[in-house]
Amino acid sequence: MNKRVTLLLLLGCVIAPVSQAQIKHVEMRVEGMT
Amino acid sequence: MKQHLGRQSGVQNVEVSLIDGKVEITPKEDGQIDPVQLLKATYDSGVSVAEMDVTARGKIVKDSSGNLALQVEPNRSFAIVANELSKGLDSLVGPQTIATVRGQLYKKPPGKKQKVDTSVPLKLLILEVEKRE
Repeated sequence: MNKRVTLLLLLGCVIAPVSQAQIKHVEMRVEGMT
Repeated sequence: MKQHLGRQSGVQNVEVSLIDGKVEITPKEDGQIDPVQLLKATYDSGVSVAEMDVTARGKIVKDSSGNLALQVEPNRSFAIVANELSKGLDSLVGPQTIATVRGQLYKKPPGKKQKVDTSVPLKLLILEVEKRE
């Protein structure tokens, strides 16, 4: 059980920085589209 | 245009509304998307971009000149245009705080139709500060 918790914590440390900063959505208004 | 934009790196989904000329792009989970590349790709597909808005989550940092910038990736940040909302971000400078903001990255200069000038770095005009963590 403790091993699983430790593993989850380690995974969290690896994943967290990746999800910290990012572009989440882009919206454009364009002209000349037919 | 939808297919062309969909092929760009980091793009997960593209929705195009012909009625109001709106294009919505959802980045992939890693969020590694290049707005300049999107501007180029849109222009290459035969239309001109009037405006580009982004919602981004990142660190508020100060560049070498002391100006505020939003760092969305370790090697990508956008200088923040000074306005009333950007003043409130001054207190968030530092590695601990992550902010989610909505802002305008590009607006076509008034006048004749012209190619997007990608040699000029994009600057972020903050429209809304959605979250501070």
